[in-house]
Amino acid sequence: MVSFYSANGDFIYKDISLTGGTSVTVYEKTSATQIKNDLSDKLSDVSTRSIYDIVTREQKAVIIETTTEGDTTRQVLEEYFGYELTTENSSFEFTGSALSESFYRQLLIAILIAFVFMGIVVFIIFRTFVPSTAVILSAFADILMTLALVNMLGMRMSTAGIVAFLMLIGYSVDTDILLTTRILKRDEGSLNSRIFGAFKTGITMTLTSLFAVVFALFVVRSFSIVLTQIFSILAIGLGFDILNTWITNASILKWYKEKKP
Amino acid sequence: MRLKLTWRMWILIIVLLFSLIAVFGIPPRVFQKGVVITSVELNSTAFDQGLRQGQIITEIDGTPIKNLEDFTRVVKDKYTGEKVKTTFLTNELEVIMFSNETPKITVSSISQTNIKTGLDLSGGARALIQAEGQKLSASETQDLIDVVSNRLDVYGIKDMNILPVSDLSGNNYMLIEIAGATPSDLEELVAKQGKFEAKIANETVFVGGNQDVTSVCRNDATCAGIETCQKASDGGHFCNFRFSVYLSEAAANKVYQIAKDIPVNASPQGNYLSEQLELFVDDKYTTGLNIAEVFKERPLTQIAISGSETGKSQQEAFEASEKEMQKLQTILITGSLPYKLEIVKLDTISPTLGKDFINSIFFAGIAAILAVSIVIFFRYRKIKSSLALIITSLSEVLIILGVASFINWNLDLPSIAGILAAIGTGIDSQIIILDEAKQKESLSLKQKLRRAFAIILGAYFTALVALLPLLWAGAGLLKGFAITTIIGISVGVLVTRPAFTDMVNMIEE
Repeated sequence: MVSFYSANGDFIYKDISLTGGTSVTVYEKTSATQIKNDLSDKLSDVSTRSIYDIVTREQKAVIIETTTEGDTTRQVLEEYFGYELTTENSSFEFTGSALSESFYRQLLIAILIAFVFMGIVVFIIFRTFVPSTAVILSAFADILMTLALVNMLGMRMSTAGIVAFLMLIGYSVDTDILLTTRILKRDEGSLNSRIFGAFKTGITMTLTSLFAVVFALFVVRSFSIVLTQIFSILAIGLGFDILNTWITNASILKWYKEKKP
Repeated sequence: MRLKLTWRMWILIIVLLFSLIAVFGIPPRVFQKGVVITSVELNSTAFDQGLRQGQIITEIDGTPIKNLEDFTRVVKDKYTGEKVKTTFLTNELEVIMFSNETPKITVSSISQTNIKTGLDLSGGARALIQAEGQKLSASETQDLIDVVSNRLDVYGIKDMNILPVSDLSGNNYMLIEIAGATPSDLEELVAKQGKFEAKIANETVFVGGNQDVTSVCRNDATCAGIETCQKASDGGHFCNFRFSVYLSEAAANKVYQIAKDIPVNASPQGNYLSEQLELFVDDKYTTGLNIAEVFKERPLTQIAISGSETGKSQQEAFEASEKEMQKLQTILITGSLPYKLEIVKLDTISPTLGKDFINSIFFAGIAAILAVSIVIFFRYRKIKSSLALIITSLSEVLIILGVASFINWNLDLPSIAGILAAIGTGIDSQIIILDEAKQKESLSLKQKLRRAFAIILGAYFTALVALLPLLWAGAGLLKGFAITTIIGISVGVLVTRPAFTDMVNMIEE
């Protein structure tokens, strides 16, 4: 992550909802790669993709994203397709760069505040330093690892993607609270059997979410960029959460409990 | 198992019933036939006769109108240019109209539920607007909104929502949402300041707004309309429009004071002052109008404003002139906006994709339920508890939709992601309940379930506080996510989870 930041000057690759620019959906069956090739010298930083019908797998529309502002993009596209773009045959979304920068900053602040609030609540619930910190650390590790993998995959993050990270905080903390409660606040059975019991419950929780997300991802993948991104990030995050909760967090708690019976 | 419902289950059932009513209405809207009126043009015949937004047209001239197709067909056959009598039967009243043109109303099919979808699903336009180069305070934003709403209203845009929004950094914006088709000149209407000035010899004599202009003639062929259309020398066409404007005494006097000192030029067309009345919109010169000699004699409150627009065909020129006239009338009536504006975000979403989108979400939902069912059955191998879990989760979806319909929340994409998040955490909590109940300990089932609740409450509060900042971040455009998730998890903790606990109790005993 550190090397990524120093190379790119930011934590993530941003899409136009965070850098500013125009996203146009046109009901056209022209191939996305061809449009990209044809327009790359007229619009700045173009990326395109196709949308398919869920059932018939037929191409329905093509999405063109560019950092060029709305009016110019409209002119270029109308010239290219040879007809007027109306609300009947297209959708336009334009975001000014100043606004998207401010959105981005605010969403980061929102995540930060969410994180701090979550930490405070965790401390109130457990009232002990090491276990509470372990919960927060585990959530933090989830986010960091997911972010790293998302960057490695070259995914361009949108506002929706950032919201997915908020969701991830929630899911991550669920299992950690379960584990910590079972270990600290219960005294029946051996420590290991309690960890194992919590593991059984927690892994069911994570796996149901993971399965649901992956199945849903499979359905929407060809259709909605927004939902695809949310589900992908959740799937990655839930995967890492299994590691962080049941290896890192469980070890810390076990060590803590054995040291201080 | 004896089926004795506990009070917690009764609460769930009652809440579910309320949600059903909130979503489908009473009587269920699915059975309602007709088309609903979405807007009626002010001062049109339809409006005068009592047709209003929200009424449902069920019959025209005795022909039942079941859907939009029926309406379009009947209206198209009916109006062919001659004056005809039409009887509209609505759910509120019967209206009889004599007219030679189609009634000035827009209709749409009745939605089958009360669920309202956001612009990104139902189509429409959304603009986020800021003052250029300055930060507006909350009250300044409100002033701006008053002027802009008035302007859009005068211009004839009806199905709109305009409200102030602010964000975490203290910026205030004006958010305009227009459902359905987007007017092509929306940008000009909302972001152009629309400063109208009339000048004689470089001196401003009157400006737009009710200070100087007492009324403007519109929709009245005797004092406003397209006068002539002609072919231009370059092969194009142009049309002239003209409408009357009534000035205040003070403004009329100002015109007189300046006009009386200006010499007269005689010409074959008549005698006019040597200076013209020059019109400026947003500091840009648009037209110069000749001033008749009579303005030198006394203050006149009625003046005529004219102009012309061109087009490739006569039809195009006619429409362009009509539009230009409407725009001029609008800014003359409403005056200029108090600030120079900048559109920072403009989305125009086609309604077509939204429909497909809802289908895709539906499929995704089914896939997710299937996935959850597989894991749950695999893990517990007990039909009853697994079924209870799935049913509880489904009822949570219904309750979230019910509450959203009840508070008139527009479900947009973030809201739907929020529902997914809430259901996900809901299932997690139910798994905790099931597992805690199964623990082999000397505790009673009740005690075990109480302990399960301690964990769930912890998870609830962490999720709740984590969502709060999202209510304000990013000008509230992602608010939907926080709203539906908060509804979902709160309903979970208050209603569905207690009921589920009782179900588990019943099944286990």
